[in-house]
Amino acid sequence: MARKAKRDLTIEQKLARGPIDLPFLALVMLLVAIGLIMVLSASYASAMYNSSAGIDTEGDPLYFFKRQFGFAVLGVIAMYVITKIDYQHFRWMSVFVLGASIVLMLMVFIPYFGRSGGGALRWVKIGPLRFQPSEIAKVGVIMFFSAGLSKRTGQPSPPKKWSKRTFSGRMAARLDRVGLLELVPYGLVLGVVLGIIALQGHMSAMVLVVVAAASVLFAAGVSLGWFAIGGAIVGGALWFIITQTEYMTKRIEIWQDPLSDLQKGGYQPWQSRISIGSGGLLGVGLGNSRQKYSFLPEEHNDYIFSIVCEELGMVGACVIMALFAMLIIRGYWLALHARDRFGTLLVVGITSLTAFQTFFNIGVVTGFLPPTGISLPFFSYGGTALAIQLAEMGMILSVSRQIAAPKAE
Amino acid sequence: MKDLDHKPRRSEGKNNRSLFRRTIFLMATLGVGMFLPLAAQLYRLQIVEHEQWQERAANQQTKSVSVPADRGTIYDREGRAMAMSATVYKLILSPMGVVRAIDKEKYKDENGKLDQAAYEKAVYDLRELIVDWVSGTLGYDKERLWKTIERTDSGYEVLYKELEEEDAEKVREFTSENRITGLLYLTPSSKRYYPFSSIASHVLGYMNQNETSGENKVGAMGVEARYEDALSGELGRVVTSKNGWGQEMISGYEMYFDAENGYDVDLTLDERIQAMLEQTLAEGIETYDVQAGAFGLAIDPQTGAVLAMASSPDFDPNNWSAILSDELNAEVERVAAEQGDEAANAAWKAAWNKQMRNRTLDETYEPGSVFKPITVAIGLEEGVISLDSTYYCGGSKTVGGKSISCHKKGGHGQQDVTKAVMNSCNVALMDIAEEIGQETSWKYWKDFGLFEKTGIDLAGEEKGIFWAEDYFKSIPAAQSQELATSSFGQRFKVTPLEMICAFAAVINGGHLLQPYVVQSVSDRDGNTVFYHETVEVRQVISESTADKVRSILEQVVASGSGHNASMIGYSIGGKTGTSELLDRKYEPGYDNDVMCSFMGFAPADDPQVLVLVVYDTPKRSPAGSSQTAGGTYISGGNIAAPMAGALIANILDYMGIEKQYSADELSMADAPMPYVVGRELTVAKGAIQNAGFECRTVGTGSIVTHQVPAAGVPIPGKSNVILYLGDEAPADQVETPDLSGLSPTAAKTRLEELGLFMRATGVVDSDATAVMAAQSVDPGVMVSPGTVVEVRFVSDIEYGDHAG
Repeated sequence: MARKAKRDLTIEQKLARGPIDLPFLALVMLLVAIGLIMVLSASYASAMYNSSAGIDTEGDPLYFFKRQFGFAVLGVIAMYVITKIDYQHFRWMSVFVLGASIVLMLMVFIPYFGRSGGGALRWVKIGPLRFQPSEIAKVGVIMFFSAGLSKRTGQPSPPKKWSKRTFSGRMAARLDRVGLLELVPYGLVLGVVLGIIALQGHMSAMVLVVVAAASVLFAAGVSLGWFAIGGAIVGGALWFIITQTEYMTKRIEIWQDPLSDLQKGGYQPWQSRISIGSGGLLGVGLGNSRQKYSFLPEEHNDYIFSIVCEELGMVGACVIMALFAMLIIRGYWLALHARDRFGTLLVVGITSLTAFQTFFNIGVVTGFLPPTGISLPFFSYGGTALAIQLAEMGMILSVSRQIAAPKAE
Repeated sequence: MKDLDHKPRRSEGKNNRSLFRRTIFLMATLGVGMFLPLAAQLYRLQIVEHEQWQERAANQQTKSVSVPADRGTIYDREGRAMAMSATVYKLILSPMGVVRAIDKEKYKDENGKLDQAAYEKAVYDLRELIVDWVSGTLGYDKERLWKTIERTDSGYEVLYKELEEEDAEKVREFTSENRITGLLYLTPSSKRYYPFSSIASHVLGYMNQNETSGENKVGAMGVEARYEDALSGELGRVVTSKNGWGQEMISGYEMYFDAENGYDVDLTLDERIQAMLEQTLAEGIETYDVQAGAFGLAIDPQTGAVLAMASSPDFDPNNWSAILSDELNAEVERVAAEQGDEAANAAWKAAWNKQMRNRTLDETYEPGSVFKPITVAIGLEEGVISLDSTYYCGGSKTVGGKSISCHKKGGHGQQDVTKAVMNSCNVALMDIAEEIGQETSWKYWKDFGLFEKTGIDLAGEEKGIFWAEDYFKSIPAAQSQELATSSFGQRFKVTPLEMICAFAAVINGGHLLQPYVVQSVSDRDGNTVFYHETVEVRQVISESTADKVRSILEQVVASGSGHNASMIGYSIGGKTGTSELLDRKYEPGYDNDVMCSFMGFAPADDPQVLVLVVYDTPKRSPAGSSQTAGGTYISGGNIAAPMAGALIANILDYMGIEKQYSADELSMADAPMPYVVGRELTVAKGAIQNAGFECRTVGTGSIVTHQVPAAGVPIPGKSNVILYLGDEAPADQVETPDLSGLSPTAAKTRLEELGLFMRATGVVDSDATAVMAAQSVDPGVMVSPGTVVEVRFVSDIEYGDHAG
């Protein structure tokens, strides 16, 4: 497709060719670069000793790094391509992304495609690609919710459709008035997605989908009362699960005291704390981690931040957390300045997802939160996840293109 | 936002404000607030708790291989090595390594297909090579080794724990020849040797692992345990980094901490004196059919240094887990045969416990009459009695409504203090105790250290068991059966060690000394790092009181109930004891069991050695009688005194203390036989008389043609030498006669008839009561004429000294 001359563009199209937000891009690239270095450092030992279960590295110490690097390049390209798309197209795309993710998630249950990992059937393998469709579902939900809720302009409601004569009509009218009715479609979509993920047994993905969806709903102005009710239900359910099921009670116990079950569940949290604690203020130096020599499991996946803390110390860890914080703040800043409600909600959703993922991962690794399998954006080993994250960043950058330049004073 | 929540219709402005506010809220919580607890958590782990996590990390990331330190040697006072260490080796096999040594790749064809049969054959061949060699050369059980080598998931199987250097060298040759040094290898360790096996076993102790020592053995008893820190030295360590699989990391750091060799320990014990004491115990047990073992002590009463300490049965520290005594083993076997395995296990355990006990300090006993000198010393020191005080013994004394009898039912009659002790009279002693009173007695017992452990540098010490102080003191002296019986050492218990220390104070001028077994500790260069100075706990009685008691005790041996301990040439003092064992009254086989003991010292005027010998329960035969099977009256004076007397003489002899003879004894002393062959008979007779001998002639003639003994041979004075005249010549060999039951004179005559000579020891001063107890050459043995036979005599007077 030949590139149109600028004069032939509509205003919309001109806007979509605005400059992308450089600070945000810089933060993304910085985090990806540091993340790659850390994957190299953390995975070096297990790749060399070929000790990762299910993966034959053939003793190539750069095995994981090479793969991650390849996906990072792919991801950056994807990000670049997506920044070129006028984000208004994401409105209609959202339905397809969501639909595709649901189909992919269902494919997990087809033995030919499905792969299990971490005790759950959560992977799908199509050709050379092996990924978690729930990653796509997160974006799908955010896009779908943003698109839908952006129409919530606060214009006077259309003329009443509810019959006041029937009881059901009166009920519906009441529900409409308190704002429940408008939530029904979102609730249904969320219910379907969560249901499928629940079938996969993928708790952590459910948590992330819920918080991502909730943050979009929250920003969109849904009544706080619903959040209170939702929060109460989730809280109650959590309380029930934690106190009433032996499995979760035990997990919480292990979280509080890893030594109580050091042979099994407590081993990883304990080793993680040893890694972090032994790092001290300045760390043992990049590449010098001892814990990665088969003491700390998952050292280049979910627990890569422990190696960061061990090698770079509290100073290095805080610098990286600061970069994440800046990325998140800049994300919300872009949301605030987005051209329209859809842009705002989309960026809020993706930024919140990234923020929660960061929080949960570091929280788990440092023992602040009970163990769940949530990876650290840009850092944890996992090519498709990295590529999808970069694609999400591409969406934010696409929105950033249409921000009006500040008026010269 | 209240308006938003309740009004169904919102203006666009309000809606956008809400969007703005809520996004700002998210920015603040997720962009900033969320990171605060995370940073706090990092601060806690990385700064506050950093050191403890770093230590945990270091613990798991490093491998510390200990380098054994050379354990110090234990020497006796003359520098004989009693316990020493030598390097031995652990032989380790890695069954996993054996499999890995065969390269699978070599057995693959070009398609990468494994030739399973060839590969398995190669593994089998290597295994067979190792199994055949180890079982063939070192004698390891072949079948067991095959099982071990097939445990392929194991990389560490210890085949031998203590392989000697000689075998280790063979292993080195074998492994380097076959290039399997990584599969079958040696690690050095150390083994403890006790060259004198069971001698002084309770004092030396033995080596064993305990809960905290891990693979290393540590001292488990005696000096080995008490001086563990000094002997063991510091283990060296090689610290290397390792990974999570436990493998050493090539690039990791290494640190070396040199091993520091242990210190050497010099004992106060003398192996020879120890051996004499153990021999004395063993002989007594054998001679008098002693049922429940024996124990004894020899100390230097001037310093508290322990010269010998023995408890029988004992064990061999080289093989401490086995039962040493034949009797105990026989007993276990008997139980096994009669009552089955379970009872046998219990019996084995009981027997083992028995042999591990050092009864001189970990058990209390009633000292009996051996305690009497202490009662007398208290009385003399307090001035309530004097040497001139006299006491009448009518055979019993009524105390608190109960008649307590003397061992001599007819009574000893009127006696002074010295005589009372010589007679070991219970009535007189009860009178003395009553005069002393319970308060003063208690004070002195305390001062004599009977209520406290002595503080000897050995583990497991017990202390005396007495009545409750308030109770004891509340009973007036005249009514107190406790006070009365305590005067002759019954109804309370002390350890033999406490007893000997208190006794030492009585004879050494009143100084209660802390006993000890380690004289000094020194490093490998000979620098003394610890030297034991004599520790005086307190002065209990005055020098003059001690002098008086010492002279009384000398009389006890010279002509009292301890007479059997007397030895020609030595002035020995001492006291006998026959303790009742009332607490065993209800045990099966109880037959008025007694412990026969003797506490003696020499030389009497300046004691160099103080000895206590105790035999627990000589068997009465027939049951209920007062005699052993050999006809010996069962009492300290008849059983322990002769054994202890000989022991004291041997010790003094060994210590090089000169004999001192009375004029009478001097004429009996050894002198060399003059050379008289070829002389005129009259001249010869004169020379022989001059030398202090008598002579008889065999044959006729005037010239001495042969003489017995040969010239220069030392024989006891007054011996009747034989001069041969004319053609007569002495026989080549004569048969040693049996001297049993003979008096000294009869025995001498009997021997001299055969051309043998007698050197008499023990009780020789009275032909009426002394009988042969032992002869140095057994009856029936052929010896040359002129041989001197040493003959031990004891008195056959029944020396009673037990409680009534």
